[in-house]
Amino acid sequence: MTSRLKKITSLWITTVLLLFVISIILGITMRFNQAEVIRLSPITFYTDMTVHGLTMIGIWFVAGMAAVNFIMERYVKTSKFVNILALVLTVVGVLMFWASTFIGKFHAGWTFLYPLPFKVMWSAWATPLFLYSLAVLAVGWLIWCISLIAAMLKKYSITQVFAWQYFKKGPKEETPPFILISMITLVGIVTCLITAIVLVVLLFAEYYSKGTFVNDALLMKNLTYFFGHAIANEMLYLGLAVIYEMFAEISGRPKWKTTWYVSLAWNCTLFFILTAFFHHLYMDFVQPEGLQILGQLASYLASLPAAGVTVFSIVVAVYRTKINWTLANLLFFIGVMGWVVGGLGAVIDATISNNFVLHNTLWVPAHFHTYNAMGNVLFSLGFFYWFSVNFSNSRHSEKLSALKLFLLIVGGIGFLAAFYIGGADSIPRRYSNYPAEFVHAKTLALIGGVFASIYLIGILIFFVNITRRCVKILFSQSA
Amino acid sequence: MHYSILLFFLIVAVISISVFVYVFLTSKQSDNNTTGMANPLQKRFWFILILLVILGIFASVTIPKSPYYLFADEQPKAVVHVAAMQFNFFMSDSAIDPKMPKGEDSITFNTNELVEFRVTSLDVNHGFAIYNASNKLIAQTQAMPGYVNRLRFKFKEPGTYHIFCLEYCGMAHQLMRTTFTVK
Ligand code: HEM
Ligand SMILES: [Cu+2]
Repeated sequence: MTSRLKKITSLWITTVLLLFVISIILGITMRFNQAEVIRLSPITFYTDMTVHGLTMIGIWFVAGMAAVNFIMERYVKTSKFVNILALVLTVVGVLMFWASTFIGKFHAGWTFLYPLPFKVMWSAWATPLFLYSLAVLAVGWLIWCISLIAAMLKKYSITQVFAWQYFKKGPKEETPPFILISMITLVGIVTCLITAIVLVVLLFAEYYSKGTFVNDALLMKNLTYFFGHAIANEMLYLGLAVIYEMFAEISGRPKWKTTWYVSLAWNCTLFFILTAFFHHLYMDFVQPEGLQILGQLASYLASLPAAGVTVFSIVVAVYRTKINWTLANLLFFIGVMGWVVGGLGAVIDATISNNFVLHNTLWVPAHFHTYNAMGNVLFSLGFFYWFSVNFSNSRHSEKLSALKLFLLIVGGIGFLAAFYIGGADSIPRRYSNYPAEFVHAKTLALIGGVFASIYLIGILIFFVNITRRCVKILFSQSA
Repeated sequence: MHYSILLFFLIVAVISISVFVYVFLTSKQSDNNTTGMANPLQKRFWFILILLVILGIFASVTIPKSPYYLFADEQPKAVVHVAAMQFNFFMSDSAIDPKMPKGEDSITFNTNELVEFRVTSLDVNHGFAIYNASNKLIAQTQAMPGYVNRLRFKFKEPGTYHIFCLEYCGMAHQLMRTTFTVK
């Protein structure tokens, strides 16, 4: 393992955590504005919302990628140059995006649903700058993904990298689960990044055609959610790849092996994840009915490999087994729990007849914040913690562990509960201020904001400890 | 209706969390002699099978209740054209001219008559969400430029119903609303 890779990874971790703290503060600001504790103009609120959403998606995506890249070096040689290039392009892309939002006041939401970006309610230059920032991010990440896929294909054959040999009796070669999951996930990500680029090209085509070319709103919505749904889910799978590799190792247990059902489950996942996005268009009644039903079935079926293979494997690994519990594998374990609970909320919402009364209410941020803030974030924090302790030669004190977990769990549950109750109470999402009809909305926003602040304190402790160790790795002579 | 969804979620969430906590506790109490789960492959098989059956039942019960099939084989008594536009809704008994959109000042239906809303947008995507007199969301569809979504519904109780926009449409999204009356 080269020390250069450790340094790049430290840089990624520091960047992600710094941006995370800023984005949480924006999130809490939104909740307090909805509670009318503070008063922002709606434009400021929606700008915050756009920045918060896209920055969060971006950082937890790259956090997963950085971890996967780091671990992949155990099996194959990865390009340090591409890794750094991706970091540079990510930082440049985020700065361009922030300029378009914070300075240009672009506020079409992180999904920038066509044709909203063209109904300019901000500085005219902000729309093209926003689109260029997306292009920079998408191209940087695409290069990174393709470089990792190429690195794997140099060593493993196609059959092996997808673990298809397990479907025959007595497979001769092994595929580490980490390689299988990385491959499946990276292929999904490449598909969705290409869609993002197509989307940006179509938007540019309309923008520069000055009215001679107009897009189709339904097609654009399908493309938007194909991209948005896939990226939001695939970034979780990057975290799972890390868990398949690291959970046993950190726990002092034998390494997990690929079997026929692990292979089958992950190969199916690739398909379901790319078709489940139709659940974002349930309320578009003009969408062909077959696709709507397919959306519900794919959303349901996507939970089978997840629950039956990944979650069950974690349970088998832990049940009545002596484990060397550290903060890292505890975070993995709790993260899987958060992922499951968020998944339950998602399956409920992916049921068309429920979606009829839940779509675009606070139920939506409720469930996706569950598997992000209490799932994926914990996966990455577990890796960050393990990485920073392991390579900085610091005596790791687990003194604050209990406190940190307590703050994250209590803060997280309170923050999420306010969203779920709001969703069941029909309170709309993405409202800067709540109409008087929603009598509990302000109180819930206040509760959500207060508990989110507790969560933030927990994150700040992680931030200080982990970045201190990462800075040490960054400046060490021989890591 | 909506609290039953929350309750259902709470129950399954608490069950799942309890399983995790229980599994964690069995690990805490283990020493080098405990042997883990017996026959995990067999248990995994049953777990997946049971899950598949439950999901299958759920799908077959819920899919027929999808809004696309609501009153599909009845004739609507009232047809209302809806055109959404930043940051207003126009509602009218007759077709709305996109160049000069105009709506009626007040819209009234009778209880239990079948109403069909023909919803479109004249600019960006909007939501068309119907809230009953106690401010519960009871039905919705999207308002998309270039398309018309047909939503059929029967209102059982008289009162003032609110429409809110549920698709983010810009800086005054939270103010975009209208009402109709059921008598
Ligand atoms: C404790 C930390 C967090 C807080 C306080 C927070 C707060 C919020 C709030 C208040 C909203 C707007 C909700 C509404 O529609 O009314 C929101 C939206 C969102 N959040 Fe978070 N959030 C947190 C963590 C995260 C994480 C970890 C992610 C990771 C992906 C995330 C991703 C998003 C996204 C994608 C949106 C949607 C933005 C949009 O509608 O355009 N958030 N968040
Ligand atoms: Cu709106």
